Parts: sequence; structure tokens; C-alpha cells
Amino acid sequence: MSAIILLLGASLSVAALFLGAFIWSVRHHQFDDGFSPPRRILFDDHQPVSSDTPLNGPQARVRRTDINDTLNQN
Amino acid sequence: MQIEKFYYDNRTVKWFGYAVMFWGVVGMLAGLWAAVSMYYPAMNLGIPATTFGRMRPVHTNAVIFAFVGNGIFMGVYYSLQRLCKARMFSDTLSRIHFWGWQLIIVAGAITLWAGKTTGKEYAELEWPLDIAIAVIWIVFGINMFGTIIKRRESHLYVAIWFYIATWVTVAMLHIVNSVELPVSMWKSYPVYAGVQDALVQWWYGHNAVAFFLTTPYLGLMYYFLPKAADRPIYSYRLSIIHFWALIFIYIWAGPHHLLYTALPDWAQSLGVVFSVMLIAPSWGGMLNGLFTLRGAWDKVKEEPVLKFLVVAITCYGMATFEGPMLSLKNVNAISHFTDWTIAHVHIGALGWNGFLTFGVLYWLVPRMWNTPLYSKKLAGTHFWVGTLGIVLYAVPLYWAGFTQSMMWKSFTPEGQLRFQFLETVTHIIPMYVTRSIGGALYISGALIMVYNLFKTIRKGSFVANEAVEAAPLPAKIATHGRTYWHRWIERRPMQMLVFSLIVVAIGGMIELIPTFLVRSNIPTITSVKPYTPLELQGRDIYIREGCYLCHSQMVRPFRDEVARYGEYSKAGEFVYDHPFQWGSKRTGPDLARVGGKYPDSWHFNHMMDPSSMSPGSIMPSYGWLFDNELDTSRTEKMVRAMQKLGVPYPDGYAMEQANKDLAAQEKNIHASLQSDKIHAGSNKEIVALIAYLQRLGKDIKSAPKEQTAMKDADGRDVMGN
Amino acid sequence: MVPCSHMATTTDKKTTCDHCGDPCTIHPIKWGEKVFCCEGCRTVYQLLDRSGLCDYYRLNEKPGLSHAHSSRHEKFAFLDDVKMAAPFILFQDAQETHARWYLPQMHCSSCLYLLENLHRLDPGVIASRVDFAAKEVTVLFDHSRIRIRQVAELLTAAGYEPYVSLRDLGGTKPVGTRDNIYRLGVAGFCFANIMLLSFPEYFGLGTSEEALRGVFRGLNLALSLPVFFYSAQPFYRNAWSGLRTRFLNIDAPIVLAILVTFARSMYEVLSGTGPGYFDSMTGIVFFMLAGRMLQDRTHRRLSFERDYRSYFPIAVSVLTEGKETPRSLPEIQCGDTLLIHHGELIPADGILTRGQALIDYSFVTGESLPIPKEMGELVYAGGKQTGAAIEVLVVKEVAQSYLTQLWNRQENKKEEYSFIHVLSRQFTYIVLAVAVCAAVYWWAYEPARIVNAVTAVLIVACPCALLLSSTFTNGNILRILGNNGLYLRNARVIEAISTTTHIVFDKTGTLTLPGDHVLTYKGRPLEPAEQRAIAILAAQSTHPLSKALAHHLEMAEPCRVLGFKEIPGKGAEGWVDGTHVMIGSRRFVTGSRAITTDTRVYVRVNGEYPGYFCCSSHYREGIARWMHVLRGRYSLSLLSGDNDRERSRLEGWMGKGSRILFNQSPENKEMYIRHLQRLGERVMMVGDGLNDAGALRQSDIGIAVADSGNSFTPASHAILDATQIRHLPVFMRYCRMAGRIIIASFILSIVYNIIGLSFAVRGDLSPLVAAILMPASSLSILLLTYGSATWAARRLGLKLSTADEKDHVGD
Repeated sequence: MSAIILLLGASLSVAALFLGAFIWSVRHHQFDDGFSPPRRILFDDHQPVSSDTPLNGPQARVRRTDINDTLNQN
Repeated sequence: MQIEKFYYDNRTVKWFGYAVMFWGVVGMLAGLWAAVSMYYPAMNLGIPATTFGRMRPVHTNAVIFAFVGNGIFMGVYYSLQRLCKARMFSDTLSRIHFWGWQLIIVAGAITLWAGKTTGKEYAELEWPLDIAIAVIWIVFGINMFGTIIKRRESHLYVAIWFYIATWVTVAMLHIVNSVELPVSMWKSYPVYAGVQDALVQWWYGHNAVAFFLTTPYLGLMYYFLPKAADRPIYSYRLSIIHFWALIFIYIWAGPHHLLYTALPDWAQSLGVVFSVMLIAPSWGGMLNGLFTLRGAWDKVKEEPVLKFLVVAITCYGMATFEGPMLSLKNVNAISHFTDWTIAHVHIGALGWNGFLTFGVLYWLVPRMWNTPLYSKKLAGTHFWVGTLGIVLYAVPLYWAGFTQSMMWKSFTPEGQLRFQFLETVTHIIPMYVTRSIGGALYISGALIMVYNLFKTIRKGSFVANEAVEAAPLPAKIATHGRTYWHRWIERRPMQMLVFSLIVVAIGGMIELIPTFLVRSNIPTITSVKPYTPLELQGRDIYIREGCYLCHSQMVRPFRDEVARYGEYSKAGEFVYDHPFQWGSKRTGPDLARVGGKYPDSWHFNHMMDPSSMSPGSIMPSYGWLFDNELDTSRTEKMVRAMQKLGVPYPDGYAMEQANKDLAAQEKNIHASLQSDKIHAGSNKEIVALIAYLQRLGKDIKSAPKEQTAMKDADGRDVMGN
Repeated sequence: MVPCSHMATTTDKKTTCDHCGDPCTIHPIKWGEKVFCCEGCRTVYQLLDRSGLCDYYRLNEKPGLSHAHSSRHEKFAFLDDVKMAAPFILFQDAQETHARWYLPQMHCSSCLYLLENLHRLDPGVIASRVDFAAKEVTVLFDHSRIRIRQVAELLTAAGYEPYVSLRDLGGTKPVGTRDNIYRLGVAGFCFANIMLLSFPEYFGLGTSEEALRGVFRGLNLALSLPVFFYSAQPFYRNAWSGLRTRFLNIDAPIVLAILVTFARSMYEVLSGTGPGYFDSMTGIVFFMLAGRMLQDRTHRRLSFERDYRSYFPIAVSVLTEGKETPRSLPEIQCGDTLLIHHGELIPADGILTRGQALIDYSFVTGESLPIPKEMGELVYAGGKQTGAAIEVLVVKEVAQSYLTQLWNRQENKKEEYSFIHVLSRQFTYIVLAVAVCAAVYWWAYEPARIVNAVTAVLIVACPCALLLSSTFTNGNILRILGNNGLYLRNARVIEAISTTTHIVFDKTGTLTLPGDHVLTYKGRPLEPAEQRAIAILAAQSTHPLSKALAHHLEMAEPCRVLGFKEIPGKGAEGWVDGTHVMIGSRRFVTGSRAITTDTRVYVRVNGEYPGYFCCSSHYREGIARWMHVLRGRYSLSLLSGDNDRERSRLEGWMGKGSRILFNQSPENKEMYIRHLQRLGERVMMVGDGLNDAGALRQSDIGIAVADSGNSFTPASHAILDATQIRHLPVFMRYCRMAGRIIIASFILSIVYNIIGLSFAVRGDLSPLVAAILMPASSLSILLLTYGSATWAARRLGLKLSTADEKDHVGD
């Protein structure tokens, strides 16, 4: 049944590949935080995109003052 | 580093979406056609292309690789971009991928209709297309990994892992199973023969189900279900475990397709064990999916998308529960070769793959054309029609399968078989009719969807490029004191490519070398001889017409099968079968021992008009075999190829000796036909086919008794049930 | 994007803030159709509204954080100082800076959403990333456009004030090691594949396929190497450290078993006599690692190791020639003058040089009421100033201050070994005995078999089962307790709790709700007008009792108080439209010198004295009930830093038998614990705050009560969510069950061992038998422990999972 060897080799090398992937993902903190990832994917739909003027200019200044309000009034 | 504004590519998703709808309908219609021809043989209109034997591979390939395949790509191209917060790696590759894949599908359909097939289920496409598939698959791979590498979101969501697994494993399966030796442009023979070929084929066959129909769709489920329900997956940890567990176990479940066959017992048991183990991760995934909707069932009531997803997941659960059951030896003894299997796979195909795809389509189209769905009501109708379709499809087939199996196995008190094979077929024809109605319903549901989506598209405005903003991943990340380069790969693409190529090469060597070292030790039977050139020709016709789709060539060691067909099959009988033709379904009787059972004239008439020989037969007539000239110019190539594959023809046999023998054998058959007052035109295909059929199972009969006795000693003995 | 106006406002009888969901005070702030409890909440809402981040409100019902009391503007001034900002900066180059902060307030997906969209609040921020498990946010920003201080303020403005403490200066956060995960992964991979490759032989891969069998065995051997040399390392290490200290811990016999199994399998394969026991070996290693992992899973956001530095600010404002400058705490020297604002902690012992101090020492001493200090008096570190800012002249450096001393006192407790180890030792002796017997027997009859038999015995009967049962049980129990608000430092605590004999409680903050008072009026009924006048006066005063009074009378529409005068520690007086009102101590109001044991606020309206408000601490729900339960089983004591005005009430709950001591200094508490331990009691101390720190550490089990997930607790063995304290008896009962579960599953494993041994002693333990026994026992133990732990939890009515509905998104 020499075919077995072929299948075995193929399967083993793929399995080994995935072991590598597993170690990579642990090393890169993929599984550290089980709370955020499943929720994060739900956010992207709600992303409003700023009109072509990037996020500075007038609006930005408005915001900076807001922040100061928030802090000041305490 | 700055926040980057970029665009998701929806156009490719749109194309794949259209392809899904188109091929879905086409594939299902092909299925319906095949289903009808099972009780109305004339359905083939006397044309080869529309005969069941060619329609069925068209159907399976269309729904698997065209409908589901495009479904995978549609879902992946949509979700991967969003999960990675990046546009697909290269628009050009996306385009190549799309058109390449559609081309393969078209070519595949045409060649299959033309009878160009390898004769290995779910891998029927011939070698040029195998190569094309590999190429396009690699294009897809580059596009996918490229996107993953340039992603802006550091975490790889579990769905992406499922996509990766799909790509890697399918690549491996496709390559390993397509190791074949081309004979001509559209003909090739697999390297392995008989038992080994069967093992490889079903190792592939099962994993195709696992990694083409299951893992990618699980990935889609893990993305689209939370999106549609607008709530996070029930347990992310569970989904990760689900992934790693599934990956490991699936690989080895293959052999359960070969229980009681000539495959070594230990390999069969291995298949059973792993199939049974599969239930754990599968159900883990299903429950994870269903629990996600806890507290949201009110939403399910009015949201069609969720309705489809729920049924899809439930069907996944049913199929993954039934699978392991079917792989238990005693259940398999009943179910195998019957319509039970067909019902089982259609629960998966219609329920899991079909409904999940519909759900995704209903979710995607309104978003990409940003407009609400044209009609929720129609979607609801589709849902109910489709569900009813599934029920009407599956239930009769389960019934048919079980009934037929019982009839096969029933004996009279005198120990005679109670039913002729044909009786068991005619008995279940009503079920076949109902099944085709179910199928028709399912298709009409799909058509309703197409209309609904078409109207939606008409009223919406397509967003080809969806604008997004996100910051790229920082090149350098510091985590709790430790800093490391995050995307070193990205900074050395070239080295990475070379490196991975080397790795793959080494892997290949490791795999192949031992194959040559370990000599195949199938118990050989001295009386088993290579096929004669004419028989080889006949065998190719047998394969071309897809006979293996209705007729098995594997007598299992059961009392009824031995009584009905003769001595059970031995591994040693198939050492020259490139490819093996064991088959997986017995719409007609087994042919492993048909050789010499009937006179040549019987076969001649039977092929001309089956019902003349066996009234009520649902086999179509193969008139064209009586007109087509036999292409003897191929003989030499065929024999050479077989020699290359280790079939012991004498040296130089291929040159002219082969065709000499061919002519001689043909003359004999003509003679025997003459004796029955039949005149076959000279050098017609029918003769070759008759030659092949008459050869089947002969060798072992002619074998000296003690030799077969010795064979019996190799483990299996006839079991009564 | 959902415009905010579309979001639903719940307008039930009791209006709650649309931002934070807190009940709104008498005068809610209106903004559009929104209602807010305070200005803070309103501005945050406004901020998000303008930045189009209103999904924040869509994702969860009123997810915001109350702004009623947040910090002063200058708080993060110190971040302008490069040196002091350093600990928060992970990485910095020419353009960008990566900074990380700890935000204990994080609690739901809305927080996640908002914190990862900071770049929409301020153009200077490039990106932000949340690690929810650690409750940390990493902000990448362009420091040419926004200063790190402004980022901190941005977070504060959004309602997530970074928690900065002196500890951050220490820098080194514990680096969570991942080795065990790798070990587990490798073991799992090898085990699974070895199992796969062993099956064919078990299923009767005949001699017909020599070559294949060779390949399979070879692969098995190769695959077992990583497990033997890498994955199993922790066991070797533990065993060795045990042996070095002359203690035969549970790992020793396990290592022995691993070695023997490996050696014999090697021999069998290399000599071609058999397939070996690689699958059993790798399997057991895998399961044991998994168990250890489950047991050692720590609560990342909790710290059981806090010292005083977690409580102290990272910097304080120092007055140098009248100018206020932030300076990092370690740099404070004697002679510096510190400016302490309202609600800030006094970081070092010093002398009050300006302002009227009203210092809340509840955290240090347990005294529930703030203590007034006059100029020139000595103020101790750890107190919180309430009221106007004060100036303090430092006399002792932070490291020397009374509080720090108290905290740093080192205790030397001997390490106790769990009963598991003791049990395993006996077990090991028995196994060795069996092995010897087998050896002797075969020596007599068939010497050839000795090696077989002995090795087989050692392979089958290793106490791995015991280790599995304990680790899996403990793991489950830790998890379930955690879900119910009791977080244990490690598994050993479970056992310790189950053996407790005596429980000692602290009063303030443990049994009572911190800083909350109940007022009861005694005297002739007050007319509305009088009540109103009193309330208005009380509202003017900063003293907590006055605040309580104002709240109690529940009418605070602002109105001018003429000639308002407040004498710290005495009381306040003033004219409220024509009526003269006086509130305060008996002496201040009535002039009588009589001393009262309980706390009273006397009132006087236009010279006439109608009565007084009697003030008592606010106790947690249902103390009587659970105290009674505990009383049945344990002896109890109560130690309070407070005075004994509530003795009678407490005695009522705790019963005559138990000791109740008042005016206890932290030292007293610690000594009392020691005293009990000398009497052979196993003491559990339940307390909060610094004043219990010593006692908590001294006791066999110190449980620190935390009032909200993010409030800070002293070093302890366990942290208990204050709202769950009523379940204490249940928790303790659950811990007691743990022991039984472990024993039960161990007995089960003994059964398997006996079966295995019966084969082993005969010297014919087939790999198949081993391969069946090993996973069978492991799995059944796993199921038993998990099942019984869950069953027990359900029976005791404990929550099995933390499925909080806040999480679901949308609608």
C-alpha cells in the first residue's frame, strides 16, 4: 500500500504546517483577547467616512474645545 | 504613519455573485435532468451528452465547483477585505481568478458532456483542466495571502483561519489525487491502480467534501452569521478550538467510503474511528452557530437571511451527525451503494451549502447596491419553497435507499434471493419521481431569489469601491516589554517566496521518496492478467459513458451479494485497473463478475435497447456505440502508457502486435454474434465494450481452486446478513 | 451612521442618565430630548455626537461612565514631563508615539468601539487598540499634533480616565510567558499524530505489510522526541526542585513513569520487538499539561500583588516659591511643600501648613468619618483630603512613611504542600512495592520477564490520574468562582479555604458600604420650612455628614446662605432667608459637654433646638442571614478601626460567641490574627483597605473585598466582589466540595490502575491495553471532575458562565 505513504506524508506535512501556524498565532498574541475580535467585526459597517477633507481643520478645533469643556466643568 | 483612506473592491464580489446565481441554476437544472432520466430513460433524447452517465458528472461538478466554488470566492472576497481592513492584494489577480475559474467551468462542462473524463468521481476533469485549476488556485492563494500580509487589522479572525485551511488543504488534495499519466490531449490514466487508486480517490473525495464544501463555508458562517444577527459569535474560544480540531481529524476520515471493500481492514477501521471522532468538532461548530442567536429568535422570524442561515446550520448538524453513523460498519452495510448516500449528501448540498449561499446573497446584494431588499415576502416564499424542496427530496430517497437495501438482502425460506435486481429498482421509482419534484421545487425557489435580487439590483446603485479609513499596522509593535518586527514577511516578499518554495519542494520529496522505496504489497493473484488491447478500448468507453455511476464493480463479502453476483472481490483482482471502477452507487446491478454471465448477443441487444432484454429497465439505450468507429490508432499509446504504469505487457507489444491481437479478438466476438444471427458493423465501439464486459471477473474464476482458497485466508470471510 | 436623535430614551418614573444610566439627581440636565445626570455626561455625549460616534449608544443600553465625580483639569500635567511620561510610552520615533494606559472602566463592546475610534475624536491620534482582557488601550499618535498629556485628557474626556499609579514608574509589568501554550500545542500535535499512526497496528496491520509498519513505528518514535525533550520539561523541573528540597512531590513519580515509558518504547521500536507505548506517553503528557494550564489560568485584569505603590499617585504638585509644579513621587524629599487637592491622597507623612484639612482615613484606619486637622498637626500618608486644597510640609519621605512601613513589613510563612503531594507519595510507595513484588515473583519463576513486568507496572500506575483530577477540578472551580465574583490567586487557595476554622471580618468597607450613612431624626417633628433651611445650609458644607444630611432631606434648590460659617470638626451655621440655622456636634450646637457613643448631627433653628439626626453606617444587604449561616460552622471575629457605637447591632448578627473588637489599629489586627493562629486556628481574614493589609497577609486566607471591578485591593489570596459577599458561605462550601471531587475522581483512576496493573504484573501489558486505559481514564476523570464541579455549582445556585446581556450589539 505505497499510496498510504504518499497520503501520510501529505497529511503530516500539512499538519506540521498548521502546527507552525498555531505557534505563530500564539507568538503574535492572536488568542490573548477573546473578547474584542468577535465584536470588532461588527463595527466596520457603522464606519462613517469623512468627506475627502481629512480629519483636521475646523471640525477638529471644535472637538478640542469640547474636550476642554469636559475637563473644565469638573 | 497616517490614517489611510482606501476602498474595498466590491466589483469582484459582484461578478462572483452573478456567477453563483447563474451556475447555481445551471447545475441544479442538470441535476433535475439527471433525476428525471432515472425514471424516464428516454430523457437522454438518444444523445450521448444528455445521458445520465454524462449528465451526472456535469451536475456534481457544476454544483460543487461552479455554484459552491463561486460561492466561496464571493464570500471570501467580501469578508476577507473587511476582516483585514484592506483591499484585495491585486485587482488583476482578482480578474484573472474570476475569468480563469469561469473558463475552467465552461471547459469542464463541455469536456464532460463530450465524455472526456478520468472516471474518478468528483475529479472527473481531465489533466489539462487539472493543471488549469492548480494555476487558478495558486492565483487565488497569492491574492488571499497578499491581502492577509498587507492587512491593517492585526488579529486574524477565525474565519480567515478557515479560509487558509481551505486553500492549503485543497491544493494538496488536488495535486495528490491528480497524479496521472497523460495519454492524449483529453485522456490520462492515474498512476495508482485498483485498491491504491481507490484509497487515494476517496481520501481525496472525502476531503473535498471536508475542505471545499465545509471549512470555507464554516468560515463564511463565522463571518456572516454574526453580521446578519448583529451580535458576536456565541463563543469565540469555541470557534478557535472547532477549527484546530476539525483540521486534524478530517484528513483521515476518507476510507469510510470503502468499508467492506478490498481495502485492508485496518485502513477501513482507521476511517471509521476518525469519522466518528468528527462528530465532536462538527457539533461544536453547529451549537456555536445556533447559540449565537440565543435571545434573537424574534429577529429570525422576520429576517429572511437569518432564516436561511439557521436551516443551513441545522442541516450541517444533521449531515455531520449522519456522516459518522453511516461510517459505522453495520450501518454502512445497509446504506452503501443505495440512494441513502445520495439523500445524505443532498442534506449537505441543498441545506448547508445551498441555503448558506442564499443567505449570504440576500445579505450581500442589498449592502453592495445599498438599497433594501426588493421583497422580503418573496425571500420568505423562497425560504419555504426551498425547505419543502429539501424535505421532498431527502425523505423519499432515505426511504428508497433503505427499502432497496432490504430487498437486496432478503432471502426466501429456501435460501433463494427473494427479488431480482430489477424488481428492487422498479419498486422505488415512485420515490425517484417525488425526489425530482422536490428538486424542481428547490430550483423554482432559487429562481424566485434570482428575480428578487435582480429587482433589488435594478433599484439600487452599485458601490464598486467602498471607501474606508484605517491606519496601517505599525511596523514595530511592543507588547508587554517585548518588541518585535510585526510584518517582517512583508518587508522581504522575495525571500519569503523562495523560502516557501524550497519548503514545499522538500515536503514533496519527503512524501514521494518512500513511495518508491516501499514496494506495493497487494496480495497478487497469478491468474489475474492484464487487459487485452480490445478490452482496454472497451474499458475507456465504459469510463467515457460513465457506466461506473450506476454500476459498481465491487462484490462485498455479504451472503446476498455473493449469492447475487458471485465470489466477493479481492484486492488482487484490481492491480491493472487504472483507474479503479468500483463505483459508489448501484442503480443497476454490480458488474464485477458479469463476464461470461450472458452471451455476447445479450449484451449487444441490451446496449441497443435495454428493455428488450430486461423489461422495465431504466437504463437508456446506447445507440451511438453501434455507429461509432473504434479508434485503433490509440491502442499503441494506451498500451505504452499502461506499460509505463507497470502493467506487464511484453516488450514491444505496443507496436503492431497490440492491434493484431485486437483485430483477432474482435473477429471472435463477431463470430459469436453471427452465431446468434446478429451482424455488427466492423470495428465498432460496441464490440470493444462487449469484450470488456465479458472479461470482468473472469480471471479469478479461471484461477485454480487452492489459489482462491488461499485468498480467502487473507482475513475476510463471507458474512451473512 | 445612526444620528443620535434616533436613539431611545427611557423615561420611566425614575429618570436615568442617557449617557451612564445613573439615576438623575433632583435637577437633571436636559439636552435635546436627552437627559443627563451631570454636566460631564452631557459633554461626553455632545463630543461623541459631533464626532459621529453615536453607535456608542446604539451598541449597548446607556454604556457610559458616570462623570459625577471626576478628576481636576491639571491632573495629567505631569505627562508633560518626559521622565514621568516615559513609563507609558512603548515606542517613539520621529513622527509617532505609542502609549499604553490601563483603563479599569472598560466594560462592554461600546467601550471597545469608542476607544478604537479615538482618531475620530482627535486628528492627532492615528490609531488605538484595545486589549480587553488586560483592560489596556494602546494609542498611536502623531506627537507633533497632539501631546501625550492631551491624549490622556482625551481619554478622560471620553469618560475613560487612565488609572496611573506610582507603580507605573516601576515599569516592569509581568510578561505572561507562553511557553506552556507552545508545550501544549506541540504535545497535542505529536499525540494526535502518534495516535493516528498507532491505530493501524492495533487494527491488525499484518506482517504482510512489514515496510509500512516500520515506517509507522519510525514516525511514532520521531514524533515522541519533541514531547519527551520539550513538552515534558516542566515536570522534570518540578520534580528536581522537589527532590533538592528532600520532598517527593507528585511530579517525581510522574517523571519516573515518563522516563521508563520512553526508554522501554525506544527499546521495543529499535529492537523491532514491539510498537512501544509512545501514544500513552505523549497522551498523558498532553492531558497533564492541559490540566496545569486550566488550573494556572490567571485573571489578567486582577493583581493579587499590589503594594502601596498601586494606590499612590505617580506625581504630586509641589509648591516651589508659590508656583505649582508636578513632581514624581520618589523625588519628594523632606522639606518639600505639597499641594493636596480635594479627593487626592496624601503621599507622605507631613505637617499641615495651610488650609483646613478634613482627612478621610477610612482606607488606612477603618475610621468611617473624616477627621479634621488643624494647622501644624501631623497628617499621615494614605489619608484623602476632602474639601479645599491644603498644603503639607513633608517630614518623612514616601518610602519611610508610616503607611509604607506598615505595608512593607515582611512576613515569613512556610510553604505548605497540598494534600495531593502527600497522597501521591503514599501512592508511589505502593506502586514501587507492587513493582518489587512482581520482580521477586518473576525472578523466582521466569527471570526473563522481570524487566517487562517492572517497567509495565511503572508505566501503567503513575499518579498522573491524581494530578489530572486535581488540576482539572481546581481549574473548573477557579473558573466558576471567578464567574461568581470570587477571584482566587491560585489553586492552593481552594484547599486553604476548605480547611478554614475561624473567620475574621473588618467592618468599614467590608460589612458596610464605604462613605454612605443612614440618618434617622430624633426630636420634635420639623416643619417643611425648617427642613428646607437645614437642607440648604447642609448643602453648603463639605463635611460628608452634612452632605449626607442634605441628601437625606432631599431638597437642594440652590439658595444663598448669608453669613455662612463652617468650623471644621464642629459644624456650620448661617442665615437661610431670615432663619438662622446651626448644624454640627452636640457641643457646637447645644453647648453640652456630654459625650455620645454614636454619631449625631444636632440642629438648631432660630436659637431653638428641635432634635438631632442620628447617623449610622449603611450595612450591606442581608448580613444577618449569611452571618447566621457562617456562625453555624466557623468561629467568627470582627475587628474594626471604628469606635464601638454599633456594638449591639453587630453582636446581634454575629452572636454572643464571637469576639468584636473596636478601635483596632492595623498592628492590632495583625497581632490578633497571629494570636488565633498560635491557638491552632486556620484563619480567614475578610477585609478591605490598607488597614487590613497586614492582617490579610498574616492570615491563612486573606480575602480582599473590592467594591467595583476596578477598585483597588491590598495584597491578598483572593479578591471578592463586594456585592457578592452575601454568598461567602456558598463559596466556602463549594471549596470544601473540591476536595471530595478530587478524591472521588482519584478513586476512579485507582480502578483503572488496578485493571492496568493486573496486566502489568503478568508482564504482558499490550500497547493496545495501555492505549485504551490511558485516554479512557484521563477522559473519564476529565468528565467526572467537570461534571461534578458543574453539578455542585448548580446545586449551590452559582452562575456557570458570565453571559452578560450587555454584550449583545444592535437592535
